[in-house]
Amino acid sequence: MAISEQKIKTTADNTLQEPVIPYEQVIDFRSGNEMAARAAAQINYHVMGYFPITPSTEIAEYLDEMKTHGEHDMVMVPADGEHGAAGVCFGAAAAGGRVFNATSSQGFLYMMEEMPAQSGTRLPMVMNLVTRTVSGPLDIRGDHSDLYSGLNIGWPILLARDPQAVYDMNVMALRIAEHADVRLPVLVASDGFFTSHTKRRVQYFKNREVVQQFVGPAPKNYPHVLDPSHPVTIGPYMNDPDLMNNKYQQSLAMYRAEAIYDQVAEEYAQISGRSYPKVDAYQMQNAKVVMFILNSAAETAKDAADKLRSEGLQVGVVSPNLLRPFPKQAIQKILADAQVILVAERSDEFGAHGPNLTQEVKAALQELGSHARVLSRVYGLGGREFYPDDAENLFRTAWTVLEGGESANFDYYGVNPGNPEAKAAHTRLQPLTKEETTGFVSVTQDASTGALKVKVPSLRALTGKAKRVTPGHGACPGCGIFPGIETFLKGIEGDVVVLYQTGCAMVTSTGYPYTSHRVNYLHNLFQNGGATLSGTVEMFWERKRRGEIEVGDDPTFIMVSGDGGMDIGMGSALGAAMRNHKMIILEYDNEGYMNTGAQLSYSTPLGHLTSTSGVGNGRYGKTFQHKDMPQLMAAANIPYVFTGVEAFALDLVRKGAKAQWYAQHEGMAYGKILISCPLNWKAPEDAGTRIVGAAVKSCFFPLYDVEHGITTLTYNPEDKGERVPVEDWLSQMGKTKHLLKAENEPVLQEFKDEVERRWQRLKAKSENPLL
Amino acid sequence: MSSELKTVAVRHQNNAEIRLESIGGLGANLAGKMLAEAGVLRMGLNGWNAASYGSEKKGTPVKSYVRLTPPDVQIRGANPIEEPDVVGVFHEALFKTQNCIAGLKTDGILVVNTTKTPEQIRKESGLHTGTVVCVDAMGISVEEKTRVNTAMLGALCRVVPILDPDKVRDVIRDTFQGKYPGLTEANIRTFDRGYAEVTVQEFPPEAGEIPQPFVRPVSDFGYQTQNPGGIINTAGNSVLKDMSASRQGFLPDLNLAECIHCGNCDQVCPDMCFVWEPKENEKGRTFMFLQGIDYQYCKGCLKCVDVCPTSALTQLREEDLYAEEHSVKHDFPIIVG
Repeated sequence: MAISEQKIKTTADNTLQEPVIPYEQVIDFRSGNEMAARAAAQINYHVMGYFPITPSTEIAEYLDEMKTHGEHDMVMVPADGEHGAAGVCFGAAAAGGRVFNATSSQGFLYMMEEMPAQSGTRLPMVMNLVTRTVSGPLDIRGDHSDLYSGLNIGWPILLARDPQAVYDMNVMALRIAEHADVRLPVLVASDGFFTSHTKRRVQYFKNREVVQQFVGPAPKNYPHVLDPSHPVTIGPYMNDPDLMNNKYQQSLAMYRAEAIYDQVAEEYAQISGRSYPKVDAYQMQNAKVVMFILNSAAETAKDAADKLRSEGLQVGVVSPNLLRPFPKQAIQKILADAQVILVAERSDEFGAHGPNLTQEVKAALQELGSHARVLSRVYGLGGREFYPDDAENLFRTAWTVLEGGESANFDYYGVNPGNPEAKAAHTRLQPLTKEETTGFVSVTQDASTGALKVKVPSLRALTGKAKRVTPGHGACPGCGIFPGIETFLKGIEGDVVVLYQTGCAMVTSTGYPYTSHRVNYLHNLFQNGGATLSGTVEMFWERKRRGEIEVGDDPTFIMVSGDGGMDIGMGSALGAAMRNHKMIILEYDNEGYMNTGAQLSYSTPLGHLTSTSGVGNGRYGKTFQHKDMPQLMAAANIPYVFTGVEAFALDLVRKGAKAQWYAQHEGMAYGKILISCPLNWKAPEDAGTRIVGAAVKSCFFPLYDVEHGITTLTYNPEDKGERVPVEDWLSQMGKTKHLLKAENEPVLQEFKDEVERRWQRLKAKSENPLL
Repeated sequence: MSSELKTVAVRHQNNAEIRLESIGGLGANLAGKMLAEAGVLRMGLNGWNAASYGSEKKGTPVKSYVRLTPPDVQIRGANPIEEPDVVGVFHEALFKTQNCIAGLKTDGILVVNTTKTPEQIRKESGLHTGTVVCVDAMGISVEEKTRVNTAMLGALCRVVPILDPDKVRDVIRDTFQGKYPGLTEANIRTFDRGYAEVTVQEFPPEAGEIPQPFVRPVSDFGYQTQNPGGIINTAGNSVLKDMSASRQGFLPDLNLAECIHCGNCDQVCPDMCFVWEPKENEKGRTFMFLQGIDYQYCKGCLKCVDVCPTSALTQLREEDLYAEEHSVKHDFPIIVG
């Protein structure tokens, strides 16, 4: 728990009466993310701009769920990525209301350029940073490498070491952010998974009025863009000498935040009984050896300190609750008599001979004239566990130094050299031969019309074509991704180089030290595949031109992305399309961000249930229509665009073959395949083929291609007499069952109207080469 | 309810560290949460609950952890449970691919969803000493149209002293009443049957026996053996993995006599399980012929059965060793390192 008896008493002796609890609190069993959502709902922020990323995503999910129970009125805007989410927050803050967000890791880095813009413009808001390792390689578990990137953005940073503190800090954060002396956005940082996803005994105020009274009404006397009687210009162009004065103001405000923190924390202790001194000091009476460590791991270190104290070793733990502004004087006071200080950090500052806090602690001690020895240890990267015996080992290292032993000033703790004898480290499959992937499909161009003629054999014959993906991947039972990708790849002859954007396909096929790819594979980031593969393609052509690469047949470059990657990476993909690189973009669309827990994507159709488009309390699922990415790509005027599903296998194989021809001869091909997600569609595992087939036959997902702007329906269910009502498709999935209920009839009709409108437009295009 | 069986493990009366071993989709995470919630909110204990997190999808191994202590004991660490008092195995097939009993204390309790006897499970799990508790949670949940998790909770409450079955039942009731009221009574019945239908056997240590200390596993891929940048140069090595523990009781059964070798199954299979060979037909022309299924990778989704135009592929309730005996292995060109 956040507060030990001892701490409460210490604080009480200094500043407070014995804490009394005047406001009724509920005892519950909750995780950090649940508590962040609880605080935000009780505050009832106006707007949350967000984008899902593990492990902070749950905060938006819980808020969505609470909204279906009528527990708050926040407007939740699912942005196109974290950069967009931060933009939503900036714009909303500039409009004078209260703004909330939550993110992690890459999401935080992706919104990074917005961070100093928000603080420099002095627009208060509160954001939860649920800490997670920064790529690459991609690691979804927790360390502080994202947090350390945020030390310089001008946001006060509160640290929340456990779920209770997440709630408490969130309530305090808004007060600090909006305080007249501060007026800055505030970050509340808690440890991803260690705090965000572990449940503990917690308390929160039963009535949200208590919280609302504590934070008070949103201050009104600040400029915003919604008051026509006081027009303001927010975000001017400001060069020297003015900008430096702006920064000085900001710097002063940041330092003032320390006193405001003290004041707010003291008031909060009065109503909650929980106090959070700027710096948490544990077992520091006469402590000779001290571990300086942040957040959840500090609690683990306290267990080790107890154990060593019982052996007579005078050790203590120091852990700030306030990280920015850095509470220098408090730390100086606490560390004044320490002899060896081990700063344990869950992030490195590469090349600095000790990460950021090592340097800051050293700087604070230097001012004191302290001769304490400071050891620096990087631990727990990438979510590596920090057990009590790890903390004990670190204490003992420091104690050895106290007793005159030696140990490196800076080192990593918890790394291992590995086992060079391990056979698994070298076992692999032979590369695919040309014969295994060539000679199955042919594409020829008619010399007079320019039309492509594609010959594909039967599915039976295609079983002889080697698969580029190997079994042993970790996709869910019945997942449609790999049948979709492999059916498409049946149409592709010869060598391929694939790039996967972050998503289920990437995560399930490349979990270190295993890979399910028999071909060259590249992953960069969630949203940047279009640009990344552009670079790879151009390097291939240039190295080929310079004679540096000996290849018989040119490889085909294929980017694979989910619909999530095609939301956040839309700009990058469209940029690649504008440049018309010789590559293919294959989007597998399962109508949601399934890798992070089934949040809505822009491809989620109207009314569909996701973890951020709930059903209940007047809500009926997603509130806006699905994105039509093939038409966006067609409008980019690339040579080839197609749609496909595994249920129409040879149609998809043929389109793969055409896509390859265009990517080798002309430029970009883009294709979207609808693939099933039994888990999040809430459908049987064996039903995927049928469901995507019904999506086609209902005209929700028509099969067509666009060659040089000319649209061809490759399967017209009306001509075949096979069209089925949209309801026949929707009734096969749990995520859409509610749409068939009488109360949702208007939504269903709106969706059906949109399906029909898009189908009629597509038919018109197929009938007129100029459309 | 009677709790006479709890005497088998009085040693763990005041606190418990419980680890649930499962695959995604069986509800172990929810079970862990309900146990801990019952402990904290209804039994007056302090508690902590977490689950293993990574890129795990449905069907892949997951763990849920529950720490329960007296109310005045702080639980500070957020680290997973390495040396549990109790292990609950929701999915017996995990014994084939996971060390489910890793770190289980020598006087610990192993609760397994199985139709086997404690003696058989002891052998299958590699457990040396401790108490083995068997319950056919799968059978109960199939009959009650629920998931195995509430049956496992029943069995755990029967044998773990710190757990109060009435309080856990209350949490189950509240949990389902809130979200799926139609499933409440079935889950209560499932819990009660899990509680009632356990088979328990204790395997005491031999005299003078010294228990093996727990050793934390270390990765082969260290700073001297990883390729810089995390690059994997072992193409396609996921074929070394065994995905069979992802199956939840069913697999496709292939009757080649009925097969027309159309290739539909191969095309929709998410896990590349179908093994083909080129052969001459009676007219001397070469065609692809289906040889069988490599069950090492089959997760039991049964999409192949759904698209099979004949009755060659059918759904089969998986029995022990069926997959091993009927698997036709892929002939991958493996280069052993």
